[in-house]
Amino acid sequence: MAKVLMKGNEALGEAAIRAGCVHFFGYPITPQTEVPEYLVKRLPEVGGAFVQAESEVASINMVYGAAGVGIKCLTSSSSPGISLMAEGMSYLAACELPCVIINIMRAGPGLGGILPSQSDYNQATKGHGHGDYELIVLAPASVQEAVDLMTLAFDLAEQYRNPVMICADGMIGQMMEPVEFPGEGRGEPFKPNDWELTGAKGRARRVVNSLFLAPEELFAHNIHLKEKYDRIHRDEMRSDLYGADEPYDLLLVAFGTMARISKTAIDEVRRDGLRVAMFRPITLNPYPTPALRAAMDAMGPSGKVLTVEMNMGQMVHDVRFAAEGSRTVDFYGTAGGIVPSPDQVAAKIRALIG
Amino acid sequence: MHADSDVGDIVRSGDRLIAIVGNYGSGKTEVSVNLSLQLARRGLHVQIADLDIVNPYFRCREASLLMQSNGIRVVVPHGAHAWADLPIILPEIRGMLHPAPGTLSIFDVGGDDVGARALASFRTSIADGDYQLWQVINAKRPFTDSVAGCLAMQRSIETASRFSVTGLLVNSHLIDQTTPETVLEGWRLAQAVSAETGLPIRLVAVMDELADATELRVIDAPILRLTRLMTPPWSVPRPRSLARLQGVRP
Repeated sequence: MAKVLMKGNEALGEAAIRAGCVHFFGYPITPQTEVPEYLVKRLPEVGGAFVQAESEVASINMVYGAAGVGIKCLTSSSSPGISLMAEGMSYLAACELPCVIINIMRAGPGLGGILPSQSDYNQATKGHGHGDYELIVLAPASVQEAVDLMTLAFDLAEQYRNPVMICADGMIGQMMEPVEFPGEGRGEPFKPNDWELTGAKGRARRVVNSLFLAPEELFAHNIHLKEKYDRIHRDEMRSDLYGADEPYDLLLVAFGTMARISKTAIDEVRRDGLRVAMFRPITLNPYPTPALRAAMDAMGPSGKVLTVEMNMGQMVHDVRFAAEGSRTVDFYGTAGGIVPSPDQVAAKIRALIG
Repeated sequence: MHADSDVGDIVRSGDRLIAIVGNYGSGKTEVSVNLSLQLARRGLHVQIADLDIVNPYFRCREASLLMQSNGIRVVVPHGAHAWADLPIILPEIRGMLHPAPGTLSIFDVGGDDVGARALASFRTSIADGDYQLWQVINAKRPFTDSVAGCLAMQRSIETASRFSVTGLLVNSHLIDQTTPETVLEGWRLAQAVSAETGLPIRLVAVMDELADATELRVIDAPILRLTRLMTPPWSVPRPRSLARLQGVRP
């Protein structure tokens, strides 16, 4: 298919359809509103349905119901709306139902502002709902990658019977880039399976349930889920290295928009002879800790690590965890909707190794 | 009234108020800001209003400083309101409907029919023939990549705004992957829309580095040479316009 020019939010909507999504449930919030706006036009054209829910709590519970009967479905929101969906995510994970949730992050806390932010990193990777559960979290750094990760998101959701979150900042949602989509028209539904509720005539009944009053049964369910998350952590870590073919004295760690900005900064400081590489996690959960540690170790003990985020310092804790005290990890970040410029990132690099 | 010799290559002497409309992401703001800057640099008094009530980012208010430094009067929401997603229509905009001689008003309108609705309240204050409403066409955008799509967009914008489209503005591009063929695709689409509607093609926007391509000599409408200003913060060369989003305090 030929390239088209699309906003990140629109591209996520179209990519979901190509991945086989037929139902969308959601509620408008800036800066993600173009996702529902696009799907309200497109879903009826491919035999799907769009429902504007009365709130984000309703949206996620509509996803819970639709996923339970084996429908490929999607919801999207931005930070405050994602907080409202937290309880539903826990239920979906507990019942092992596949779905995709988009978070186009804006600045917080509270109502905050509508400008871009990465301040839901902790929420996406360690927070949202209650109980021992995990989401798979994917972080695109371009509109094309957002499209590619949407396909992967539905695949992983189905394979692991687990909700998958696409976590992008407002800049990725709002920016326009040329993109190419996989396939033609609506993608395939879920493969035949033994979990969706289709009516029990002629077979043993299936139950979608997250209530386990007997502690032994709940513990066994916790162990079952943990084994699944262990497999996800073993097999699904994804990351990207930039500029690591040559020796480097500083490893910059950034995701999403901050990786785009940092790449421009790195290209600039390299012209002055500074040796810098970048590690970009694509899966925020499972966090690609071994690959990050290997990229750190490739520098030797004097190599520096700088984490750059559009928040007050969240992923930096996972980077320090990967370093395991082997070296100090510096942090640079802005918040409130202020996006660091490449010049500011370059200045921070120069301050460390210039 | 401005002299034809100065600006006649991109606007006509009778153009006093130009409102730029079109679908989401067709490039209305990029075109509006570039048009304003070029007319101002040719000595025309230009005033631009940001009527975008639907987009949260990449609005022409982000290029305010650049435009003001070129002598353009910029009418945009003030202070913290500039960064809100509120449907703010400033009272000063009404005063821009009938510009003084030698002055041109440019309205950068939000996308689709929902964005164009912002114009409707001005309809009774302005006579037919006293305005230009140019529909931006980008053949690389979903929903407006065909004649039928462009006509449907035109109808929905006219219904919501209560104004009639008076001309077409071709802005067919794929950002940094634009080729002369991308531009020609939009040119041919606009010609087909023009044949269907009788609307003139008033401008063809082409990125400066492509504007002299021999393939584009077939275009017999005025060319607006575009410099990309509404760029994301990692762009090289550095974006000059998005002051706030680059971390510079206002």
